[in-house]
Amino acid sequence: MASADIYFEADGQRSAKPDGAGIRFLLGSLALQNLGRRKARTFLLLAAVAICSGAVFTGAVLMRSIENSMDLGFTRLGADMLIIPEGTLTNITAALLTAEPTDLTLDTSIVDRLAGLKGIRRTAPQLIFRTDLSGYGGRDESVDMIAFDPERDITVQPWLEQRLDRPMRQGDVIVGGRREEAIGAQLLLFGKPLIVYGRLGKTAVGTHERGLFVSFETMDGLRETIRQICGTKAPLEPNKISGVLIELAAGATTRQMRFAILANVPGVKIVGGETMLTSIRQGLTALLDGVLALIVIMFASSAAMVSVLFSAIITERRRELGLLRAIGARRAQIIGMLLTEAAMATAVGGVLGCALGVLLMRSYQHSLVYYLQNLGIPFVWLDTAATGFIAIACILLAAVIGAIGALVPAWRASRAEPYELIRSEG
Amino acid sequence: MLSCGNVGKTYPTERGDVDAVKGIDLEVPRGQFAAIVGRSGSGKSSLMAMIGGLSRPTRGAVRVEDTDIWALPDDRLAQFRNREIGFVFQFASLLPTLRIIDNVALPALLGRPRETKAAYRTAAELLGQLGLSEYVDAYPSEISSGEQRRAVIARALINAPSLLLADEPTSDLDEPTEIEIMDQLRELNRDRGMTLIMVTHNLRLAEQSDRVLHIANGSLVS
Repeated sequence: MASADIYFEADGQRSAKPDGAGIRFLLGSLALQNLGRRKARTFLLLAAVAICSGAVFTGAVLMRSIENSMDLGFTRLGADMLIIPEGTLTNITAALLTAEPTDLTLDTSIVDRLAGLKGIRRTAPQLIFRTDLSGYGGRDESVDMIAFDPERDITVQPWLEQRLDRPMRQGDVIVGGRREEAIGAQLLLFGKPLIVYGRLGKTAVGTHERGLFVSFETMDGLRETIRQICGTKAPLEPNKISGVLIELAAGATTRQMRFAILANVPGVKIVGGETMLTSIRQGLTALLDGVLALIVIMFASSAAMVSVLFSAIITERRRELGLLRAIGARRAQIIGMLLTEAAMATAVGGVLGCALGVLLMRSYQHSLVYYLQNLGIPFVWLDTAATGFIAIACILLAAVIGAIGALVPAWRASRAEPYELIRSEG
Repeated sequence: MLSCGNVGKTYPTERGDVDAVKGIDLEVPRGQFAAIVGRSGSGKSSLMAMIGGLSRPTRGAVRVEDTDIWALPDDRLAQFRNREIGFVFQFASLLPTLRIIDNVALPALLGRPRETKAAYRTAAELLGQLGLSEYVDAYPSEISSGEQRRAVIARALINAPSLLLADEPTSDLDEPTEIEIMDQLRELNRDRGMTLIMVTHNLRLAEQSDRVLHIANGSLVS
């Protein structure tokens, strides 16, 4: 009896599922050979995908490199705004790199309130106090001690010129650009040994050039000793900070944020940043967002192009597909074969595109870096691992785009009746 | 073996619906060699497509053994075609980028994907029986039209179907090759007891069958 059930249920197994290597190999061969059969068309497809992937790869690598460079370059220029206690006197140039030494303080809870405001991208709290009792260098030298949060920091670490080859940790101290301690050396402060983790570059801002920077954890560890030596001083009370440095999000202006902060956080003074620099930073961020949007559009247009191409390819092969259906190929197998073909072609295009991108970037490397450095942006190329990751992502994305592009024509072809496909010319 | 009950096919066109097949009733017993003859456009290929599970009838039912094939879901129908029906088409229906042996093994691999070695062994045996042993590794373009048609017959037989459908199996072949192909089809019908339905417009070929069915304007006339 030729009941259809026997093929699915016999022996309690559904062994007819097409998961064998033989059929996968044959259908894969069909896909590959079809690409080889139409060399000119395959070349055009590969070239189009290669150009697109190459542009995306190059764009992504340059974008990430510029972003990194911007982060470094602009954060060195200082924060956009500084929030300090009402009544504090400030030197605006110095203020945007660090808060000024003062006895007035803010509660640490202000940091989360500021971070919650729309338009603020990053908040970096700092605690600063000046003392001549630290015993620094065995002299009674007045030093500025600045506690900061390495995770949130936007103005200290970008200036690091030398540092130990490890993350900063409790018990470390960063010295200003005019300090002479060797990196890794021990430094006694209030009789406690600290390790010189790094040294800042020269900023021409006194606090930055001669200051000693420690994490809040290190400062907490020193707090009791300092209190015993210096007596009780407001900046050394727990959960107190001297100010918060602020970086604005793209689109937010210092004027808008000034109103927003004063409305939400009373009792503070706001020191505004350099409006032009803020605008440039925000403008460039918006430009990079635009490049990202362009990349998305390019990939979408690639998918549309692949879709059109595969519609033509499938129309040409309707008889072959009808024949496969007639001899027992299931719809999923037909779709799988066509998607494999599209993904293989576009992945190869992606590989070629990335190779093209690397060549292009190597060719223009010197002129690009020179140009950007003339603009005052210290250009930092993305490291090899990150570049490789972007290349792999581009290749995979190209393959996925190919499969997505071919999905609709493949699905439509699989829905057609085998006889309708067989009767087609092809 | 095969039973068609009021099977009809209507194609919608810009100038209105066209009835290609008009409610045909047909019974073909197991092992019979039936020829369906008619002029071009008479509906014979449409009828065969409905019998073979390739084109859904607008009305009526097709039963092969006890299975109402058009009541099956698409995947099961594909599997039914794979196991129970062999096709010999009028066009060169070998996949040009696959070797002859791959073409012949393909239906077996589609149906029983885990039995690759067995599929290729059977394909080689069938090619040997049809005198194509020396062409197993050849590509379709490297062999003659007659040899290609014999390879198509081998492919149709790979899953030992109970029903063989041949649509103009000797079109565009020279006379000696035509005789050779017809001999092979008759032999399969006689020796294997395979039900064979052949569509042709060639009365001389149809006369070699057990039964000749004439179709005109979508209806069986005799």
